[in-house]
Amino acid sequence: MTAPTLTDSRPEVVTRGVPVARKPWIERATSADHKAVGLLYIATALSFLSLAAVEFALMRLQLIVPQNSMIQPEIFNRLLSTAPVTLVVLAAVPLALGLIAYIAPLQIGARGVALPRLHQFSYWLYVVGGVTIYASFLWAAPESGTMALPPLSDTVFTPTNGTDAWIAGTALATLGFVCFGINLVVTLNRLRAPGLAWRRMPLFSWAAAVVGWLLVVTGPMMIAALTMLEIDRHFDGVFFDPGEGGAPLLYEHLAYVYFTGAYLIVFLAAAGAISEILPTFSRKPIFSHRAVAASFVAIGVLGPLAWMQNMYSAPLNEGWTIMAMAFALALIVPIGVLFYVWVATIWGGTLELRATTWYALAAISAMAIGLAGELSYSVIPVGWLLDDTVTSQGDTLNVLVGGGVIGGFAALHYWFPKLCGRLLGEGLGKVALLLMFVGLNVYVLAMALAGLEGQPVDVYKYFEDTGVDGYNLIASLGAFVLVIGILLELGNAAYSWNNGLRARGHDPWGGATLEWFALSPPPPHNFDAVPDVRSTEPLHDIRESIRRRAGAFVAPAPLERVPGPAPAGAGAEPEAEPGGDGAPTAESADPTRPDTSDGGTSSVA
Amino acid sequence: MRTSLLAAAATVLALACAAPAHALGPPDSHSPNADAINSAFWVLLVVVVAVVVVINAALIVALVRFRERRGREASRFAAGRGALRPVVGALSLLAVVIFVYGVVVTNDVREIEQSGPNGLGAAQTAQVGVKGLPASAAIEGTESATGEEPITDAEPTETSPLQIDAIAQQWLWRFEYPGGQPGQRTFTYGELVVPVDTTVILDITSTDVLHTWWVPALGGQVQAAPGDVTRTWFKADEEGRYPGRSTVFSGTGYPVMRAWVRVVSVPAYQAHIERLKAGLAEAQGIVQQTQQEQSTPESAIREEGE
Repeated sequence: MTAPTLTDSRPEVVTRGVPVARKPWIERATSADHKAVGLLYIATALSFLSLAAVEFALMRLQLIVPQNSMIQPEIFNRLLSTAPVTLVVLAAVPLALGLIAYIAPLQIGARGVALPRLHQFSYWLYVVGGVTIYASFLWAAPESGTMALPPLSDTVFTPTNGTDAWIAGTALATLGFVCFGINLVVTLNRLRAPGLAWRRMPLFSWAAAVVGWLLVVTGPMMIAALTMLEIDRHFDGVFFDPGEGGAPLLYEHLAYVYFTGAYLIVFLAAAGAISEILPTFSRKPIFSHRAVAASFVAIGVLGPLAWMQNMYSAPLNEGWTIMAMAFALALIVPIGVLFYVWVATIWGGTLELRATTWYALAAISAMAIGLAGELSYSVIPVGWLLDDTVTSQGDTLNVLVGGGVIGGFAALHYWFPKLCGRLLGEGLGKVALLLMFVGLNVYVLAMALAGLEGQPVDVYKYFEDTGVDGYNLIASLGAFVLVIGILLELGNAAYSWNNGLRARGHDPWGGATLEWFALSPPPPHNFDAVPDVRSTEPLHDIRESIRRRAGAFVAPAPLERVPGPAPAGAGAEPEAEPGGDGAPTAESADPTRPDTSDGGTSSVA
Repeated sequence: MRTSLLAAAATVLALACAAPAHALGPPDSHSPNADAINSAFWVLLVVVVAVVVVINAALIVALVRFRERRGREASRFAAGRGALRPVVGALSLLAVVIFVYGVVVTNDVREIEQSGPNGLGAAQTAQVGVKGLPASAAIEGTESATGEEPITDAEPTETSPLQIDAIAQQWLWRFEYPGGQPGQRTFTYGELVVPVDTTVILDITSTDVLHTWWVPALGGQVQAAPGDVTRTWFKADEEGRYPGRSTVFSGTGYPVMRAWVRVVSVPAYQAHIERLKAGLAEAQGIVQQTQQEQSTPESAIREEGE
């Protein structure tokens, strides 16, 4: 038996006649292929991310000095009502979902997804939701705050249709996510390759499985809450009307279950990507595959049950708040295990410091701060002190931006060669990361101190006598640096899509999971042949067996960085690649050092 | 890249050290419940800083020691069965310890203390329970404006804490002092005046949207929800004026949704209430007079003529 190659194998899909060639963008937009849907998700999420970043910068511009009158309160409140939902529902979560949509089916060796039309429909629901929210700016923008809490979001207090647009848009996007979750759960349950048991499933796919369940469980709650809110607004409902026996608290519960779920989705997707990146670049397996998978499941179960951790100041029964604290503190164990395993994975390895690695490390660092802060607010009295202050808000951003954005970019750097066969610019990526990391930390630290002085969230101005002027100035500067970093990296990604250095082969990092067995970008059917999976690292097994069959033990050569076009200077692993890496990549310019970002065009077209 | 990371870390550290020590913590507490909250903050701050430092230090050490170098080989090891048990055990212990501490300190904050020797009603003190109140303290009296069963007599007697209704609206606080029928109570807007060293129980509600009662020096955040009454308490230990603000978005005027608590001596408080009552009576007199004038035929004709 020879090494499996892709070029020799017989095509399995036979068509009658030549398909009509359509324009590429029509092909992209109408294809139900999970990769096309994934790319649409990623591109749209990144577009919304740039919007959220700009809105965030505008709000920080208003808050740069006390009692600033640059942005009118009404305008500020519109930004306030759209920026958070854009960051969470339209950017961070769909970015995670896009990567999952593209990568998870490849990782489990599937030729597609179980419910491709539902998958595609989920994307269009999400887009229509986002467009609905932003189209409202043409008439009346939403202005009922970050979560549209009733009674403020009732027609008595916000009569304009902007709030309706917010409700409709968020509900549509959430409905899309529920459809996505259903497809994801079915796909991961039914379409795994032979031998790919749950215990061997790659960790990003494990995270995806938990994400799928979180979407299916928490999404409908938000849809229900939003539907009830809309009935209250226009159809004489009294679900949240205290005067008629309704309870505003009910909405808070439902919305917090969903947003806690969204927070965890962002964290889990980032954690899943990090659990792939660190072993690959450390050249050793993850310290404990079982422990990480178990932690993901534990986080997915315990996390949403701790939703009341956000509501300690609400009129709740004491027992419920104690229960919320118990669940929130129980999260210490699985999250702590994750961090331990990540450090232990680096330990003893040879960590290759590429942009991907730096992004992953920065994401770990930022999420450590965010989650540690969250731990402290889980203790009820500290929650009474710091909930809804800029301290806890900054801390939440540490996970949403540290995990969702920096972690998302880590994943994007890692899988970019799979998406388009090119590398995401390394030099510019590192610069952007430095800006993001410094900006985020400066912002969060300054906001932490301002919150301790008592600065609440969501204000369009603060007063000079409250002693937070200096902190806000520093925070605004940090926020600007952060936003510049994000925009720079987005530009970097857009540029690299067509102009990046060509990746060396189909498996440029020496990955261990099945997505690296496919071509870059993969053909519509993903794999001509799927290998039998016998461990958590099928590609590593294949390389080993090739090495053994070759009859000679090839010691891994020192990983040298050879300047110039010396081919295959990086040791034994590239030669053992199963993917059909052929001639065009061997002579590509300087394959071992693609981080000279300016030389993007020098590669072979 | 590593040096820039270290430089960033150093900058952050320098920023943290440069900030005055008090800036690292919440404002000074002036009430037993705020004391407990602040102590919980300091304990958890130590935990948080320890966690953050340990994780980041471990990352940096791993990064420096095990980065790719010439001639180094990765040792392909993974955890054996049970290798993570000590880690899980230690983390569980941490979680349990924090949980127990959290429950204890939460009860501490909730436990209503009696008024001190310098406070109103110092001669005898009431036994007031944690939540829900002993029947002995509840004397048949007027109904509170919030609908909550009153725990004090209409007049603050020697045996009762001071019970005040705090009613939020866009974008003001209305404070109703004990005494009188609903609608005829002494009230103020914006600033609450209370006697020092006296247990004050606040029954908090809202007439429109969600707001938060939060005066950091005197305790934690409490949501003011329409149709619901939330109860909190404080016992100010020092005279002064303590600022507070709402923390939940309530519309355009949200940043001005602030509150102040002025803590004064007992005689000053009593004088203040008397003054308020006199002012209120005067105002009501004027209103009644106007109403009488308007009800006369002349004024009715004049109104029609306009």
